[in-house]
Amino acid sequence: MAFININSIKVRTFDAIVIGSGISGGWSAKELTGLGLRTLVLERGRDVKHGQDYPTAMKNPWEFPHLGQMPQSVREANPIASQCYAFNEDAAHFFVKDAEHPYIQEKPFSWIRGYQVGGKSLMWARGTQRWSQYDFEGPARDGFAVEWPIGYKDIAPWYSYVEKFAGISGNKDGLPQLPDGEFLPPHEQSCVEKHFSQQMAKHYNNTRPVIIGRCAHLTKPNPIHHEQGRGQCLNRVLCQRGCPYGGYFSSNSSTLPWAQKTGKMTLKPDSVVHSIIYDEQKGKATGVRVIDAHTKEMTEYYARIIFLNASTLNTNLILLNSKSRRFPNGLGNDSGLLGKYIAFHNFRTTISAEYEGFSDTITEGNRPNGSYIPRFRNVFKQETDFLRGYAAGFGSSRMLNNDLSGFGADLKANLTAKKYGNWRVSSHMMGETIPKESNYATLDAGLTDAWGVPLLKLSVAYDDNDEKMIVDFHEQMTEMLTVAGFTNIKTNDQPQKAPGLDIHEMGGVRMGKDAKTSLLNKWNQLHACKNVFVTDGACMTSNSTQNPSLTYMALTARAADYAGKELRKGNL
Amino acid sequence: MKRRSAVKNLTLAVAGLVSLPAWASGWSSASLGPVASLTVPEESLLAEIVETIIPETDTPGAKSLKVHQFVMRMITDCYGSAVQGNLEKGLLTVDQVANGAFNKAFSNLDTRQRTDVLTHLQKAEDPATQQFISLVKNLTIRGYLNSEYVQLNLLDYKMAPGFYHGCVAIES
Repeated sequence: MAFININSIKVRTFDAIVIGSGISGGWSAKELTGLGLRTLVLERGRDVKHGQDYPTAMKNPWEFPHLGQMPQSVREANPIASQCYAFNEDAAHFFVKDAEHPYIQEKPFSWIRGYQVGGKSLMWARGTQRWSQYDFEGPARDGFAVEWPIGYKDIAPWYSYVEKFAGISGNKDGLPQLPDGEFLPPHEQSCVEKHFSQQMAKHYNNTRPVIIGRCAHLTKPNPIHHEQGRGQCLNRVLCQRGCPYGGYFSSNSSTLPWAQKTGKMTLKPDSVVHSIIYDEQKGKATGVRVIDAHTKEMTEYYARIIFLNASTLNTNLILLNSKSRRFPNGLGNDSGLLGKYIAFHNFRTTISAEYEGFSDTITEGNRPNGSYIPRFRNVFKQETDFLRGYAAGFGSSRMLNNDLSGFGADLKANLTAKKYGNWRVSSHMMGETIPKESNYATLDAGLTDAWGVPLLKLSVAYDDNDEKMIVDFHEQMTEMLTVAGFTNIKTNDQPQKAPGLDIHEMGGVRMGKDAKTSLLNKWNQLHACKNVFVTDGACMTSNSTQNPSLTYMALTARAADYAGKELRKGNL
Repeated sequence: MKRRSAVKNLTLAVAGLVSLPAWASGWSSASLGPVASLTVPEESLLAEIVETIIPETDTPGAKSLKVHQFVMRMITDCYGSAVQGNLEKGLLTVDQVANGAFNKAFSNLDTRQRTDVLTHLQKAEDPATQQFISLVKNLTIRGYLNSEYVQLNLLDYKMAPGFYHGCVAIES
């Protein structure tokens, strides 16, 4: 570790600064250092080194005292984090605790965060589906939000670029609504999932495909993955603990060590970004103000370009807090739209059913993935009384039907007898929500956190379109399961599940063609401050139905390539 | 209705063994650490109850696997003071019922008499008693099935199978 003299401007000056080290920040780091740029990567949380800082990764099941369940005292102290499906004994250390990082809910919004090197790329669900042209065309066709400044053809080569490096498994399904990628071998569907897929093809004339999900797992690593020090996925399905084998993609296992190897990256954990510094004379950003998470001392760092990858809502917060005479309402906020048009994915409801056939079969091993039903509503034209539609996950397992009545030796024998019941399937809806001006993030006028940064105030809610979509999901899935011979079909809408638990919040700093109606141009540059690039979820104009991370990766690599070219031309 | 949902919960608990990822299951007495939420006589009684639910046969029973300590740890840490209070009350009820029926403490009954007492409690009208016995039974089953011994010796636990096969014929 080189000695850093904090008083010297020179040692605090870099070619590029990346704010955030999660899934998009990791890509910014890799791409910018790959261009030869001396890059400072700032992370507000602690360092997490691949392998060595995954404390639970190799624990045997019997080494967890509560079967993964969180003690009541922890649940009571963390009512927000506790709603997250992955906030359990084996991974809770990667989630933000409620009291440490407060925010204000004008309307219920469960903001799930991971403040550490690698961010949420450690605990993400690893689904990686490409957007299609029909997704990018959504706002223009259906008249909501604002037109995307890019289309599928602009991003397709960058999808390929990031897929090859990250390692994405999937099947080439040839679907226009869900384009194929650069795939490693797919996972297998269970017999019941295959049956459902075949029945859907028959009954809906191939308009409702049920495919194996595409996911960021090394089912068969290529040399580029071995070069990253990653190995084949071992089907442990313990991913949220961090994978010592690098079997799935994370910043920690992939992009950050790759950037480190260039010798061009300086990674600074425990560095809370307060704001971006804007220089009125130069007409551009010159650096960032950073608060040491422990000493709370503020230091300025300088660079020619800044990539903002702090995660959707924190990126909004940093821009809103970057006030200057030129930008009194937040950096780049000439339109007044900064923080507005936040959207998310509607994950409120699920449906389950049973299948009485295939009783002589089971699954073996583990699959870190599931089947996937791409959006089939309103894809090629508007056909319902709501806008857009939903994708759905679809999984199956064989139930156990052991006799648990009674006490004693018979009960004991029954417990390990593996008497199988019906196959059980379940499907969760992933609904597109419509970005609206009334769904917004602002800064609280008075309250600040422990670092003196204003608290974020969130006002995001479901709307009538979301409610209609839930009804349609129930109706359509019930019909689909029924025609495929499933029984005991049960829907489970949970209206109390607040937005945010999808962990797919997007927008607030949207891309667009016109500086009057958007914050970013087609290269993810702030219209009004061209050397600041926003390439995390905040940039999203609309949110479609796909798991978003792959799109952030591709947008980041594309923007970094452009930034490099512009730097060489002297335009930044 | 309550009973039905308790039975349903038990089914879910066991089904969870297969459908939940492996981290969600398992414990050993070493990982539990010291737990002293009950008095020594109460703990001894609980040990006899879990042993009645899952007795030693040609393989260890719940008592020698220290499942009672797992039950205590879970109730203390995860279920709150009301349920902890109901555990203590339920243990008193067990001995009351044993004394009423057989004029002996539960620990002094033979296996069949013990089973009769627990069966009687399971059919009790009192919701608190029902909650007590179904929770203890549920946690005993979870604790037993997820213990190091059962995971390794009876359920063939593998942390890293290295494969997934979606459609495998069941060996008969």
